[in-house]
Order: sequence, then C-alpha cells, then structure tokens
Amino acid sequence: MYPKKIEKFLLKVQKPGRYTGGELNSVVKDKSKVDIRYAFCFPDTYEIGMSHLGMKILYSLVNAREDAWCERVFAPWVDMEQVMRENNIPLYALESGDALTEFDILGFTMQYELSNTNVLNMLDLAGIPVKSCDRKELTPIVIAGGACVCNSEPMAEFFDITLPGDGEEVTNELIDLLKEYKAKGASKQEFLAAAAQIKGVYVPSLYEVEYNEDCTVKAVTPTCGAPEKVEKRNVADLDSMFAPESFVVPFLDVVHDRTTVEIFRGCIRGCRFCQAGFLNRPIREKSPETVEAQCKAICQSTGYDEISLCSLSTSDYKGLEKLIRNMLPWTVEEKINIALPSLRADNFPKELMEQLNAVRRSGLTFAPEAGTQRLRDVINKNITENEMLSTARQAFSGGWTAVKLYFMIGLPTETEDDIRGIADLAQAVVDEYYKNENKPKGKSVAVNISVASLVPKPFTPFQWEPQDKPEVLIDKQNYLISCVKTKKVSVSRHVPWTSFLEGVFSRGDRRLGKVIETAWRKGCRFDGWEEHLDREKWMQSFEECGIDPYFYTARRREYDEILPWDHMDYGVTKNFLVKENQKAHKGETTACCREKCAGCGANKLNGGVCDEISKNLV
Amino acid sequence: MKSVRIWFKKSGLAVYISHLDMNRCMTRAVRRAEIPLWYTEGFNPHPYMTFLMPLPLGQAGVREPLDIRIEEDMSFDEIKSRLNSVMPEGIEIVDVREPFNKPNEIAAAEYEIETEFLSDGEAEGFAAGATAVIEGGVLNAEKRSKRGIKTVNLCEMVRSFECISQGNTVKTKTVLAAGNSVNLNAELLMNALFAEFAAEPEKNSVIRTKLLCEDLSVFD
Repeated sequence: MYPKKIEKFLLKVQKPGRYTGGELNSVVKDKSKVDIRYAFCFPDTYEIGMSHLGMKILYSLVNAREDAWCERVFAPWVDMEQVMRENNIPLYALESGDALTEFDILGFTMQYELSNTNVLNMLDLAGIPVKSCDRKELTPIVIAGGACVCNSEPMAEFFDITLPGDGEEVTNELIDLLKEYKAKGASKQEFLAAAAQIKGVYVPSLYEVEYNEDCTVKAVTPTCGAPEKVEKRNVADLDSMFAPESFVVPFLDVVHDRTTVEIFRGCIRGCRFCQAGFLNRPIREKSPETVEAQCKAICQSTGYDEISLCSLSTSDYKGLEKLIRNMLPWTVEEKINIALPSLRADNFPKELMEQLNAVRRSGLTFAPEAGTQRLRDVINKNITENEMLSTARQAFSGGWTAVKLYFMIGLPTETEDDIRGIADLAQAVVDEYYKNENKPKGKSVAVNISVASLVPKPFTPFQWEPQDKPEVLIDKQNYLISCVKTKKVSVSRHVPWTSFLEGVFSRGDRRLGKVIETAWRKGCRFDGWEEHLDREKWMQSFEECGIDPYFYTARRREYDEILPWDHMDYGVTKNFLVKENQKAHKGETTACCREKCAGCGANKLNGGVCDEISKNLV
Repeated sequence: MKSVRIWFKKSGLAVYISHLDMNRCMTRAVRRAEIPLWYTEGFNPHPYMTFLMPLPLGQAGVREPLDIRIEEDMSFDEIKSRLNSVMPEGIEIVDVREPFNKPNEIAAAEYEIETEFLSDGEAEGFAAGATAVIEGGVLNAEKRSKRGIKTVNLCEMVRSFECISQGNTVKTKTVLAAGNSVNLNAELLMNALFAEFAAEPEKNSVIRTKLLCEDLSVFD
C-alpha cells in the first residue's frame, strides 16, 4: 500500500498503477514479526521489472521464509520522481509503502549496464548515501546480482556486496548471516568480512586495485581474508531448486505478462558473442515433469493464458517433445497458449508445431546474427543459409507471411561483403516466399531485419576485441540500408551511442565509478531509454573525470593483460576463451557441447557434472 | 451458452486500474475462478466479456455491470462466491444475475463527489457558486469526442445537481447523462466548475453510485 501522502498526486502522474501495489498474489506480512526486511529493487520501470523472472523467483523464495519479508521497488518514472522530490516523499516499497531506509537489505538486479545511474537515483530518492563507504550502519546493506555483476567494478564504490551466479541458495545464506550479525549488534565491516567467506559473495571494498601507467590493471589484492578468486554460485539440481508457484499479477500491461518457467540453465551452442551462454555454464536441465507441474501451479494461481518456456535455446532441451506432448491436452482445453522463444523449427515435429499454434499463432523469428557463412563461422553461430531457407519455406507453406531476422554488426573480421550479405539473406527469404505456390492471394511478405551492434562482453571469447566506434556503426548501418532494394524488407537498428556506453561499462574498471556518479549528478538516468540518453552529459562527465571512454571500447586487449574482472570465476577457463578467440580469427567453428565436449572447464563448479558430458559418457 | 450480468464494486486501490487493465484483470479472475467461460470462435478465441459502462481512471463504483457468457450452467451464487475468492484487493462482486435491461438502455448515472478544500470558507463559496452556475444553465467546456475537441454546454447533460458544504468539504450528488450517445464524465464537470471559480481543491473523489435508464429507473 502506497504512503498516504502520495495519494493526491497519483492521478497527476502517468500510469498510477505503477505506484500503488495491491496486485493479486503480492505478499503482505506483519513487519513486527519478521527479522529481515528485503527490498527487491529493479532499476527500471515497473513494466520492465515486473516482467523479470529473477525477481519473481527471489520474491517467492524470501517470502517463503517466516523470518523475512520481501517487497518490490521499481524506479519511478521521471514525472513521479519530480512529485516525490518536490514533496519530500522518499522512495518506498510497494507492499508496505515504507521508505527504503526501513529495510535491512536492498537487493538490486543488474541486467543491463545502462541501469547504473538508476541505482544511484533510487538510493538517493530514499535519502540513502549512494556510496558504500558513506553508509556506516550495518543496514540497509546494498547488494546486487544479475548478469552485469560478472564485472561489478564500475559499480564497486556503490554496492556493498554483489552475488555472481545463481541467486537461489546464496540469498538465503546471506539473510541468515545478516540476521545473526544484526542480532549480535555487529558492525558493517564485521558483517562484510564474514559475508565474503560465503561462496558466491563478492565484497568489492575488500579488494585493492592497482593500475599500471597505461591505466590497465596492475594487480587486484584481496584483504581481510577475502578469497583471491570469487567463484560464481551454481545451483546443482534444478529439480530440487526453489521455484515459485505463483506470480504477482500486475494490473498494468507489462512487457511479459505470462507464466514463465525455466527448462534449463546454460547453453550448448557456444556462440562466441553471447555472454549468457558462457556465464550460465554448465548445462543443468529441469525434468519435464517438474516443468509441467510448475507451469500448472502458476497458471492456476494467476489465471494466465500463456506459458513461456524459458531458456537460452529451447530446441536444445532434451525433454521438449515429451513436455509438449504432455502439456498440450490440458493447455488446449484451458485455452492456454505455449510460447517457445528461441525455438529452431527445423528439428521440431511439424504436427506438434501445428497443435501449438492451435490456440494462438506466434511469429516466426530467426537469428542468423551474421550475413555470410564465413562470419557465422567466426562467431560460431552454427546455422546455415539452407537451414534457414528450408524453415522459411515450411513456414510460408503453413500460411505465415511475416518473418523477423536478427543480426549484429560490428563483429570481428567483418567486411562490406558481410554487411551486404545481411540484405542478400533477407532478399533470399523474400524470394522463398514467392516460390511458394500456395501463397495467399494478394498478400505480400514482410521481412523485418533488426540490426544490433556487437558489444564485446566479459567472459566471452570476444572479451579482448575492440568495439566499433559509433561513427563506424552508423556508416555500416547506412551501408546496409543502401543494400536493401525492396520495400518488403524493413530494417530496424539500435542506437550506436547506447551500444557505446554499454561497451564502456560492461568491460569497465573501478575508475568509472566517479563517471557514473558525475553523470547521475548532472541528471542522467533511464539511460537505456533513447529519449533520456543524454550523450552530451555523459561525454562531459568522462572529460571532467579525466577518463577516455574509448580506452574501454576501441582498444584490442592483449591476452596477458589483467582484466578488471579476472578475479571473478565463472568456471569457464581463460585458456578456453583464448583458444576460442584464436579459432574465431581463423574462422574455425567449435562443435556444440552435445556433439563433443569442448572442455570449457565449467563442470568443475558442479562437482565435475555437466548434463551434456554425463550424456556423452553413457 | 448463457448470458450473465456480474455487478461489482470498485474502490480503494482498484480505482487506479484503468479500463483496459480492468479487462485483463477480470479475464484472469474468471479463469482463476474456473468459471466455464464461453469463448468467441474467431481466429484468436477470446472470452466474451463486456464492461457496459467503463469507469474513468480514479473513480470508484458502487455497482458496476459486467456481462459475460458461460458455456455450462452454473448457479449465480456459485459464480459470485468463486469470483470473490480470487479477486484482488478493491474489487468485490456484489451480485450476479440474469441481464434485465439491454446495455443500450443506460442513459444516466448518479454520482457522489467529495471535494476537500483548505478552508471552510473556500468550500462554502464553491458550493454556493457551483449550485448557481448549474441552475443558470450555462457552463461551457471543451469536451473530447471521437470527432475531435469541441466546446459544449455541460449543463445540458446534467439531470440533477445538489451541492452542500460541510466544514472544508463539499458534497455533491448529481445525475449526469451516461451511455454511448451522450455521456458526461463527472470529473470533467467538476474540473469545469473548479476552473469557473479558480478553485484549487486538495482532493476530489468521485463515486458512481447507480446506473439509470432514460426514465431514471435503476438499470438492472
């Protein structure tokens, strides 16, 4: 329930439903009966945050404890921020309406580099100092998880703790520890030193970073007994892992508003640009029975009529056919649609596909990522033009008339031929449509190509690669558009300046902390929103802090350079990444994990077990 | 297939649920309650569900109608209790019955409006002024319609209007034209009155109490 004070402003802001709480299945507890109050903070709008599966998992997990209460907090949109600042209303959590200062843990999820300023803004809106060293008390302790904390260095000054890897187990351990330290009246320093001993906990302030004269990292030294390498947390068994049985059902139309259940973690594909594919190794599968039971429970408690089976590559789930066959009878009966994001249609039984589309038909999407076979080999995207065209042919004969194709530009070794190849491939798909004799009369085909820009990320084989400067990306985009000769193909593209800032912060170091703070003080926030990204203010902030942003993006790093995130251990060895990088430059592919184990090293996190290796051994 | 008219109360937090969001919210509630909804038979089957007179964002409703169709027979009491066990905070099913009037018979609606001012004097002045304006029969305001913005005389859509002050609060009870052809949003009327007297109320809450037919009998 929102604070009384805000009531009279609610009808003056856009979408008041963002700020009221009270949704179905939201959890309200008696605050006098819990020991730990946990505020799950999503550093973007309600609509985006409410779509995030990680929040749903942790919300249910913490609330399953009797001694803790988890609430939700989102970044207020700019109109609401103004109302709150003008009327001295501190940022509050949706369930209780209490200000963040009343919480023990503020847990941010960092899914996106450009949410950094929103974290600072949310803390400040609650009247909490943004820097870890200025928060002297034990609570609130500010923690963060999510993909971006594989390199927390740019945010090291602000977070007390980050949690690389799976959050299910470590969150409970951290709550237990805080409960104990709070009860005995310990100091924040004592708590942090003890927390650093938990596997999968990184306390940035316990590490000293020295730099060389050329600004590269010279050494990272742990203090107070913190481990030399922080190993990401890995949940071994997905069947026994905590999973929610109900979701908070928003009133507002949010981005993904449906039942979402994970089917496995990790990815066997090894696409060299894909950070998620490397951060989430080794492969761990959930059994079809568990998945089905979880889907049923959530649909019943929410009333959702859509289920999304979530993973990095749905077709690679070994139990997929069985799962779908088991689920179809009751989902069709209850008019529930099953969505299979990132499904490769080529190896999926046609009759099942038809049944899946009986309820509601979804769109057709391919992600070739690069325009030529040569470049697809470089990035290890193992999909051929023939495979794509034959799937398109099948789809067109099934009545589809629109196809989406996802590509990237700015890939290593890319030439003009590769960019023209994107347009050629789109044209080939158009041609395929007109070859189809049963095409619907008078209907044209629409091929939409979406072009993202490569942002080389930590823990991928491309972590040493230079990133194209925005000007170069704009030229490449324009060249691509000039290559498209038909109106049946439309091109949508990303903003190169957004990719540029993502690149700076994804591979950044601690020196960027002051840039983030400077930019935020100048008014930067919601940087991921095109209408709010203020390039001028960011460039001024880099200049005022004496930092060259291109140092982080435009430079090729040497294999022996100490990278700012080298003291984090995601299982995949640096040696493996070096080999993959070298193979990329030679245009050599690496077989997917199911065909042959490439020896990435991640199975050591799981006691030597990887669901792919175990299958290979049998 | 059978038509069912559900009457619900919308108050508290639920007043911030917009009409579109209300639609989704009720669809899901009906699914959670496992009521045998009848689905349309088109390309994208969806449950048949119509809000006869959507409430504007921010307004509460005491008795709001929603028509659905069900496939198998289920008693009205059963539907009511099932729905109430799955409703979010702020929405309550008060009655379930067979539709009596046709949806297009809605012609007016009754509202109770509470307006808080900083001082008693302001409230008193506004109540007297507002009554005089409505009695005078002319209050022009810009009104958005499907054909764009035009200036209309709101008084032509006011069927009755009583306004008294109590301390710093003005209590208004009014019947306004409602329905598909002529409709006056109570918020619009109040804002026009506030503008007329340059009044700046602290708070203005609108409750729709009844839907009425042309002869001012209760729509049922």
